[in-house]
Amino acid sequence: MSRIQIDGLTKCFSKVTAVDRVSLDINHGDFLVLLGPSGCGKSTLLRMIAGLIEPSSGRVLLDGRDVTFTPPRERDMAMVFQSYALYPHLTVERNIGFPLRSRRRPRAEIREKVREAAELLELADLLDRRPRQLSGGQRQRVAVGRALVRDPGAFLMDEPLSNLDAKLRTATRGQLRALHHRLGSTIVYVTHDQVEAMTMATRVAVLNAGRLEQVGSPTEVYDRPASAFVADFLGAPPMNLLPVRAESHSGRVRLFAPGIEVALWEAGDFPARDIVMGVRPEHLVTVPTTAESPMFRGRVETVENLGSEEVAQCAVGDATLLVRGPRPLGLRPGEQVAVDAAADRLHMFDQASGHRLRWRAPDVSPSPPASLSPPSSSPPSSPRAVFASRSARPV
Amino acid sequence: MAVSTTAVTAAAAGMPGERRGEGRRPGETDGPVGGGSPLGSFIGHAVLTLLSLACVLPIGWMYATSLRRPSDVYATSPLPWPLSVGNYRHAAEVIPIGPMLFNTFAVAALTALGQLLTGLLAAYAFAAWRFPGQRPLYLLFVGTWLVPFQVTMVPNYTLLLRLGLLNTLAGVVIPTLCTALSVLLLRQHMESFPKELLEAARMDGRSSWSVLWTVVVPNLRPALAALGIVLFINAWNEYFWPAMVLQRANSMIQLGLRGFLGGTEGNDWGGLMAASGLACLPIFALYVLLQRHIVSAFIHSGLK
Repeated sequence: MSRIQIDGLTKCFSKVTAVDRVSLDINHGDFLVLLGPSGCGKSTLLRMIAGLIEPSSGRVLLDGRDVTFTPPRERDMAMVFQSYALYPHLTVERNIGFPLRSRRRPRAEIREKVREAAELLELADLLDRRPRQLSGGQRQRVAVGRALVRDPGAFLMDEPLSNLDAKLRTATRGQLRALHHRLGSTIVYVTHDQVEAMTMATRVAVLNAGRLEQVGSPTEVYDRPASAFVADFLGAPPMNLLPVRAESHSGRVRLFAPGIEVALWEAGDFPARDIVMGVRPEHLVTVPTTAESPMFRGRVETVENLGSEEVAQCAVGDATLLVRGPRPLGLRPGEQVAVDAAADRLHMFDQASGHRLRWRAPDVSPSPPASLSPPSSSPPSSPRAVFASRSARPV
Repeated sequence: MAVSTTAVTAAAAGMPGERRGEGRRPGETDGPVGGGSPLGSFIGHAVLTLLSLACVLPIGWMYATSLRRPSDVYATSPLPWPLSVGNYRHAAEVIPIGPMLFNTFAVAALTALGQLLTGLLAAYAFAAWRFPGQRPLYLLFVGTWLVPFQVTMVPNYTLLLRLGLLNTLAGVVIPTLCTALSVLLLRQHMESFPKELLEAARMDGRSSWSVLWTVVVPNLRPALAALGIVLFINAWNEYFWPAMVLQRANSMIQLGLRGFLGGTEGNDWGGLMAASGLACLPIFALYVLLQRHIVSAFIHSGLK
């Protein structure tokens, strides 16, 4: 087990900044998933941790030791690649034993460790085969075996499940989780698949355009996204993000837009401003159209059948609202619909920066009025801002 | 049943694409797309057969002539009969054919191996590493291919003279140890080599040097075999440079063959054909040995 600390790591390729001042502290035994869309810099970050790419600036510390410019072979890390990178000219046995031969371990020890890894990964019958004679899942297990046999301080995995079919991926996710539980090793895992992140990670780091958007447990990043990007990236279908105007109305915070009228807590006067309101499709419930003051009123456009659930796409003013619930939702295309949600399921984001907004209550002493404020200089690794009134002033 | 159902459905729907297929027997559509007519196929095979004959005939004639009796070398029958090894015996009397073949083999093998080694190291550096001035240096390297032999011949000769390497086999081999051809070809192959394999080997604890010999070279065997035979044949067929450096006719087979031409009694065709036939054998043997790798290299090059 190793602790990996990343301090302001940056990588520039000519004029493009692939990784921009990322700082992370990966604890002993963490299963940290680097999550983000293609091209967000997650693989580059992983390769810098591995030592395969030299950073433009910043540091990598392994158990407190600066390894920023240490060659990969002198870092106590093993890596599983997206393509598995098995040596085509070697048998499974020699592939798994390759790192041990590199370290000139005795033959008997190599044989024993290879046998142990093969049994753990159910590869014992395949030791004489070459990689081209294996299926995708078997190759993936050989790649894991090759990493495992070294007993490294940390495992680095670069989208190792992306070449597997859906069923095998689900099974392998479970195996990797069990492996982490059994070994207790530090794992840094790169993926763009949010399901992998949510199901395997102890912590998730969401990256966007080379920058770290949020780090937290899977529950935290899903339930309290630090930015509109994180809110939009996590969840299928993604969170509804609707531009609204927040103003003080009859002493309460109210959010307005065509088809949207949300009354929140009592607030007094504050300057009106345009914000983005977010609400997850599964947190919306349909109410009778005769209901007195539903948050959203619109028209159903389509209803998608997902098997156990349905997703209705509704036109609310100029915006589109997705509503997800158990099948049947009871909605038909073309009909009017009224939708509501619990106030504590609503998220507020700054329209310009996308950062999560918090409600800053006015001070008792003479001070500026209350306002929805964007984050200040708080570090991105913690939620940038919280809608503080949610806990302070339950609606 | 499925075919007839499709035909009925297509005809009912009035699909023009399907109507074109009406009247065809199912088996007729199973060939490769663009397979062409039987006449086209026949013409293609006929042309290829003629080309093959044009390639094989001179070699066949050479061996046929070499196996005739010395008095029958001008006979025009395609098959030599009665068979005789008289020409071979005669060739061995005229020139020291064994030592010449050995010398030539040694020079060609050393040259090819040297060129493979230098090409491998240079190509690895150009393909796997990034360093300042990489591209201009590579272009300069490849640019040396455009410099004619006649330009470098005199400086090389002068250098060998000063080093005291004239009249030695080392003098033939050393100036040709590095060739742009091998750098160019091996770099192309290495560029298409999966970078993740190199990275995996580095993660697994190998140095760059070790990665080259334990990962890159074993996986480049087909390309190395194909290039090796090309370099060997080039070195084997070299005439002018060995003639300049060695300055004697009895050192290498290509120089020895010259001895059968233009004698006082005209060309000695029987001896020439026998010695030429012997000179070709090592190349054939090498090709047979490496054939599998060579075909594989060409197939992979075509696919990539």
